[in-house]
Amino acid sequence: MKNPLNKRLPREFKKNAGKYIGIFLILITTIMTGSSFLAVMDSAEHTLEVNDRECIIEDGHFEVAEPITDEVIEEFSNIKVNVNPNFYLSVSEFDEDAFLSVFSERKDINLASVFEGELPSKAGEIAIERLFAINRDIEVGDTISINDCDYKVTAIIAVPDYNSLFKNNQDLLPNTTGFGVCIVTDEDFAKFDKNHITYRYSYEFNDDLSKDEEKQLVEDMQKVLVKSGATIGSFLTAERNQAITFLREDMGKDGPIMKAFIYILVGVIAFVFAILTNNTIESESSIIGTLRASGYKKSEIIWHYLSPTIIVAIISSIVGNAIGYTAMIEPFKGMYYGTYSMAPLELRFNLEAFFTTTILPVVIMILINWWMLYNKLSLTPLKFLRKDLNKKKQKKARKLPDFKFLTRFRIRVLLQNKVSYLILFFGIFISSFLLMFGMGLKPLIDNYVDEVDDSLTYEYQYILKAPVEIDNAQAEQILTHSLKTWFKLGKIDMSVSFMGVEDDTTYFSEIPIPKNENEITITKPLAEKLNIKVGDKIVFKDDYYDKEYKLKVANICDYKGSLTAFVGQDELNRILGNPEGTYNAYVSNEKLEIGEEYLAKSITRDDMVGTAKELMKTFESVMGIINIFAVVVYMIIMYILTKTVIEKNTIPISYMKVFGYNDKEVGKLYLNATTITVLVSLFLCIPIEVLSFKYILVLILSKVEGYIPFYLPLWLYISIIVIGIVSYFVINTLHVRKIKRISMTEALKNRE
Amino acid sequence: MKLKMNDVHKFYGEGDNRIEVLKGVNCEVLDGEICVLLGPSGSGKSTLLNIVGGLETADGGCIDIGDDCTSDMGEKELTMYRRNHLGFVFQFYNLIPNLTVKENIEVCAYLSKEPLEINELLKTLGLYEHKDKLPSQLSGGQQQRCAIGRALVKNPSILLCDEPTGALDYNTSKEILALIEVVNKKYNNTIIIVTHNNAISGMANRVLKMHDGKITKSYVNENVISAKDLDW
Repeated sequence: MKNPLNKRLPREFKKNAGKYIGIFLILITTIMTGSSFLAVMDSAEHTLEVNDRECIIEDGHFEVAEPITDEVIEEFSNIKVNVNPNFYLSVSEFDEDAFLSVFSERKDINLASVFEGELPSKAGEIAIERLFAINRDIEVGDTISINDCDYKVTAIIAVPDYNSLFKNNQDLLPNTTGFGVCIVTDEDFAKFDKNHITYRYSYEFNDDLSKDEEKQLVEDMQKVLVKSGATIGSFLTAERNQAITFLREDMGKDGPIMKAFIYILVGVIAFVFAILTNNTIESESSIIGTLRASGYKKSEIIWHYLSPTIIVAIISSIVGNAIGYTAMIEPFKGMYYGTYSMAPLELRFNLEAFFTTTILPVVIMILINWWMLYNKLSLTPLKFLRKDLNKKKQKKARKLPDFKFLTRFRIRVLLQNKVSYLILFFGIFISSFLLMFGMGLKPLIDNYVDEVDDSLTYEYQYILKAPVEIDNAQAEQILTHSLKTWFKLGKIDMSVSFMGVEDDTTYFSEIPIPKNENEITITKPLAEKLNIKVGDKIVFKDDYYDKEYKLKVANICDYKGSLTAFVGQDELNRILGNPEGTYNAYVSNEKLEIGEEYLAKSITRDDMVGTAKELMKTFESVMGIINIFAVVVYMIIMYILTKTVIEKNTIPISYMKVFGYNDKEVGKLYLNATTITVLVSLFLCIPIEVLSFKYILVLILSKVEGYIPFYLPLWLYISIIVIGIVSYFVINTLHVRKIKRISMTEALKNRE
Repeated sequence: MKLKMNDVHKFYGEGDNRIEVLKGVNCEVLDGEICVLLGPSGSGKSTLLNIVGGLETADGGCIDIGDDCTSDMGEKELTMYRRNHLGFVFQFYNLIPNLTVKENIEVCAYLSKEPLEINELLKTLGLYEHKDKLPSQLSGGQQQRCAIGRALVKNPSILLCDEPTGALDYNTSKEILALIEVVNKKYNNTIIIVTHNNAISGMANRVLKMHDGKITKSYVNENVISAKDLDW
């Protein structure tokens, strides 16, 4: 004979539909979000790893003024380094100031991955990088014009040496809208003006080398180049190339944050379950007592009460993973593919994600339920029959101050449900924090963009290859130099830009330039990022010349948006050992005419501000999901927990009605305690959320050579509280209806 | 307050399962009387008490309370009727477990414009020393005293007691009945006690016997005896 108790299951689901739907939704939301996010992250990492290997990503590259000879390439070969030409043409005004690097065919290194179409095989054909194509609505079959020549787009591609589209390695963030790469045939490339071609050579070590061996080999390569008489424009190892490393470091950061969210959420779900199970046991105490008295074994009763939880958990896991691996992949893919130029994603099942998002919550839920049941069922059947489930001796009433009766009544409700309310507080904290995070990123980045814009005291910056005198009153000579300092939190050598300014500077006149030797003025972002105060000393390293400098911070200036140290030009020359009067850049409010033979790079205000704007792209695809997720979690946790307060007090509520309280008065007595808890939690959580946000921001930025100051506008705090209140009042309306439905006969039926 | 039941009918169920639990009840209870409603299980006495108490509505007939008739009352009026005129005492006390003795009494004091002085009432009930205890810390008799105090604190004109001694031992039952007697004398409320214990009818001014949904016997007790002299 089948266990007759199983017949209760469908009725139990029907009776407590709201509760089970709530649990079902919260589990599905957690599982689908977590599994899709972690699966995409893992698949993207896998794709990147496979792609780097299959497409033979470079170990580094160098750029020289003129092509190197075959003999030099042969010499590199002798020291076990394969060097391949990777020449490109910079097109600076492709489409509304967008920059395009046009590469020649790639045959041996940094091979392209094709999303659509086929690589160019004959003259007049071009393969274009995916993000650049998307941003400009370029599709396979279209024709684009470069330097007045038309090319037919035959492929949409990604290249491994530009998985993050850094136009300059010094940029804070990749430029997904204003910079792209493309490939033409060697035949077409040969037609370009030689004066505009950058002679880049990408290299690959023949053997697997240790870091020290790599460093040694790089030094050997530089010696070979110097010996050959080549003019080295730049020498960049893959490890220091942001276009290659930025994505990998970004991927590393998202995982732990997401996992932390899942663990916190699972913890909250576990506590919610503990409360629900406890309530079920209390309300079914006489049934359990009767079953035990009738001869049912403890294990049979545990299994019976565990069954709904197991069923809900299993169904939620299946549905959550099914949605996670289908509908949710695209939005999370956007997190990487909206910002990075990666090869096509190879989606694969992630066992760790499955464990973290599915097995763990389900096991925790079942364990908590089992433990609660096992623990409670150690009581005698008689105790269950008498509804005496307290293991401890009779508890005493907590003495309350002589408040008004209603106030004391509400305090009693609060005390009675303190565990539920504590969990509600955590639930509100998590949901509000998710909301703050989801809604706060845009204003945070907008503020950063504004600060960068406001702090720039000049419109143009020109980095020089060689000194050149300019006859323009607006032009001001400066000496810029990049030094590294160890950033303990991020465990990285972070670049700090040094600005040596003239004594009579007009562009930096508001910055107090130190008069003493070995003293610097640093920007507030740098001070905050490194946690430095005035008087502290910072050690800077110059990798290029293998030198170390210990400099004292004399001032911290309110120059926002960059990690910069200011010093007098003469002093910087002295520190670096340069001849007196050395400068390598101009700043100006007017566009300067500088010959190309002198100009290494020109940067406009738009470039600098535009880079900051790029940051928004990274988060755009996930912000909507975070916000929806937050509100769903918010409402479900609130619904389940506040419902338990009413369920626990069904009979007292019924008594109240019998005594002559109307529905509104009963609602005030039992719901106001919840309303107060929700409101107090919403307000109390704000400072904790702000601290958490600041901490997470530090973590996110720890791997980035930049600093974004914390900023959230007042309207955001108000919005979070308003969304919280509105969500609560939607739930409250349901509860008011539930209170109305509680019949007075409950008081008469439930006699013992 | 005078209470009059006129041809009260009550049905439960639908169609073939429809059962008539009250089959035209007629009776009268005068102001300040103690009325004992006797009858075996299923006779309809608790249903009648619930209808008098405005917890259920009659399907036919009406109950006149003073100048008002409960059948004319909507949900709101019934709530006000319970609030202003009635006090309930249940067999299993129905105290709110997370409120102290005093707070349980305050639950009903809050509803009255002129509640009785709570500390004095607690002394009358013999609960003053226990006022800060939770119901779980009290004996059954003490819990029922607390329930009586809660019902009395609004000084209701009618006190409805549904098997008030049903869960108590002999001595405690007599104590509670004596307390009801004291309350009746002190506050002059009309008291209806539903019980299946015939002996309790000795303390009543009026006795109603019910069987199968009808009043089978109704009489005024000429020889009322004190609750402490009751025996069973």
